[in-house]
Amino acid sequence: MQVMLEKRKSRQSMSSSQREPQEMTAEHLGQLLAEVADTRSRRAFSELFRHFAPRLQSFATRQFGNEQTAMDLVQETMTNVWHKAHLFSPEKGSPTTWIFTIARNIRFDILRKNKHRQNDVSAEDLWPVLSEETSDSDEEFALDTKILMQEIGEYYLQLPDAQRIVVEQIYIEGKSQQEVSDALGIPLGTVKSRTRLALQKLRELISE
Amino acid sequence: MNKIKFHPSEELLVGYASGDLNPALTVVVGTHIDMCPRCRSVAEDIQNHMATRELHQSAPLAEPDLNSMLEHIMASESPIVRSAKVHEQVSLEGKVFKVPRSLGRHVDRLGPWSHMPGGLWRAPLELDADSRMNLIYMQENASLPEHTHRGSEATLVLNGVFNDEHDEYRDGDFIFLDEHKHHSPQTTDEDCLTLAYLDAPLQFTSGLARLLNPFSSLFFR
Ligand SMILES: [Zn+2]
Repeated sequence: MQVMLEKRKSRQSMSSSQREPQEMTAEHLGQLLAEVADTRSRRAFSELFRHFAPRLQSFATRQFGNEQTAMDLVQETMTNVWHKAHLFSPEKGSPTTWIFTIARNIRFDILRKNKHRQNDVSAEDLWPVLSEETSDSDEEFALDTKILMQEIGEYYLQLPDAQRIVVEQIYIEGKSQQEVSDALGIPLGTVKSRTRLALQKLRELISE
Repeated sequence: MNKIKFHPSEELLVGYASGDLNPALTVVVGTHIDMCPRCRSVAEDIQNHMATRELHQSAPLAEPDLNSMLEHIMASESPIVRSAKVHEQVSLEGKVFKVPRSLGRHVDRLGPWSHMPGGLWRAPLELDADSRMNLIYMQENASLPEHTHRGSEATLVLNGVFNDEHDEYRDGDFIFLDEHKHHSPQTTDEDCLTLAYLDAPLQFTSGLARLLNPFSSLFFR
């Protein structure tokens, strides 16, 4: 009796472990990524790794036809997952898609590595997945279309000094907001708010 | 924003998502996607399908290999990801044009503007050794002489309007011409900034043909 019970138990646990891959929902995978991000959970990462590494390996082998290159892709992709899990956000897509885009980028760079120059663009420049770009609130920053500096003309001279300097550096010298922030030694957020206020003021002045 | 009339083909969107277009064409398509909610959503769908399909099958990895890689990764240093500086605009002749992020990431690579006859300015954008891409600015009443190209040409309107003998093109419109099509772009009472890509006949790297086929049934009906 005892033996039979044991047997049944082990069969159950076996079949449930075989079913597991199908039960890996996006929610569950997302939860694991969150645990890795929040608590550096080795257990959560191991589970992600056991799910994704063999799939990435299969993908990469089909792509490269070379076992070693395929293993490199798996390792590089999962290394990024371990360190950059905080960059995953469920609003932007599923965990599988996120990890696929990391692998896609690594594949792109591997395929180009040998025949191209140092200064060439990298996959991350083309499809940023892992860079922590500051996300500018583009819309409020921009004038509706292009700005004719002649049109702004003397109006910007009427701005308060703090705003005028920012506008000059951005619209006349062509600096980015980040560069202005660096040049003036003020936070990026301050540059943004001054730009926004200045553009509001300019709109009013021009339409008067 | 006005409604975009001309979009990249699904073939190009698939190539964009799979990473099989060359860098220059990737930027032209990506910049259109930034400007076009419709293509953004199609490209997301394609990427999701592709991810699910490509990561569906597991390779039988040996347990010791898995374990040693896992240990190695969890003991590793965080990789340094160099992120491109995103410019929000380009300027020319005192005019400032806002550019979408997919283009703004490469503004540091923009070469000097050169003035050409007929009210045209051009600045090269070099992403790699063999990319051929330019920003082209046409002032009012400018015209590009009729031209043919050995290869394909992709043009994206960033700001303004131009027309050729076929149609009129405005912000966000993406025009793809193969080597057999001629056209003579011109502007009338508005100026126009475009991103233009030229290539030998459209070439995809190895992976795409394979990636494309399963999608044909989904997207090319
Ligand atoms: Zn579109």
